[in-house]
Amino acid sequence: MTDVEALYTANHDRLFRYFCRAVGHIDDARELTQDVFVRVSRSAIPTGPEGARRGWLFQIARNLALDYRRSRHRRPHLEALTDHPLRPASQDTSAQVNEALAALSDLERDVFLMREVAGLGYDDIASACGLTADAVRNRIHRTRLQLRLLLSGEIAARRAAPMRRTGRDL
Amino acid sequence: MNDTHEVISAFLDDEPFDAGELARTLSDPSGRALLIDLIALRHVVQPEAMVAPSRPEGRSPWRPLLAAAAMVVALVGGYFIGDARNAIDRAEPPAPSRVVQANDWQALPVGGGR
Repeated sequence: MTDVEALYTANHDRLFRYFCRAVGHIDDARELTQDVFVRVSRSAIPTGPEGARRGWLFQIARNLALDYRRSRHRRPHLEALTDHPLRPASQDTSAQVNEALAALSDLERDVFLMREVAGLGYDDIASACGLTADAVRNRIHRTRLQLRLLLSGEIAARRAAPMRRTGRDL
Repeated sequence: MNDTHEVISAFLDDEPFDAGELARTLSDPSGRALLIDLIALRHVVQPEAMVAPSRPEGRSPWRPLLAAAAMVVALVGGYFIGDARNAIDRAEPPAPSRVVQANDWQALPVGGGR
């Protein structure tokens, strides 16, 4: 298995999940995930521990997400979720989440998503976003408090159902 | 809410945290409420709702069951119909009600005798 293949296998799902929430659109998330690996295949992959390589990969992903937002010049778009007036409740929640994420700064949103949706550690996020691990810890907590207010209704509804600490059982 | 609640985030994220600080934070009702809310938040923001194909509106959840039932009815019905046809095939032919004698068939004119 080549380095690119190994990186793809280990990180494809994480990147796709990150892009889903970072850009708010599944098809674009798929394309951006592929774009990351196109760039990786043209680059010299850094040597070092897995975490450092993951940080580098997400640095590329973050740049692509920022480019996407600038080029589209809009917030994570919601039309895919609002086309259907009778859409299921889960998509209602998803639209609310996208709206709340759009209210955050780019850095807050990316730090939060890399941790909460892509499952990166503080060190990897610090490497991807050019921060210290302490700054990441602080930002993630502040962003959580902000989202707790913005998504209070969705959180209250979710509290009524069984939960796991990992949150990956949905 | 004070800054010490940040320890809850570190705990949730499997990052190093001060156990004493966490204990103090969780002794406070607001700290416990925050812990539960942040776990719920984690569930809420997962992109599965975007990714998983949703069931189209108006389609009954009983649909697969009805399809299976229809298949069973078709199979059982087909068996009985086939069985009934076999029974017909095995039956004796009907007795002739009229016998036609063909003694003069060679005497017909050439070219057909209409």
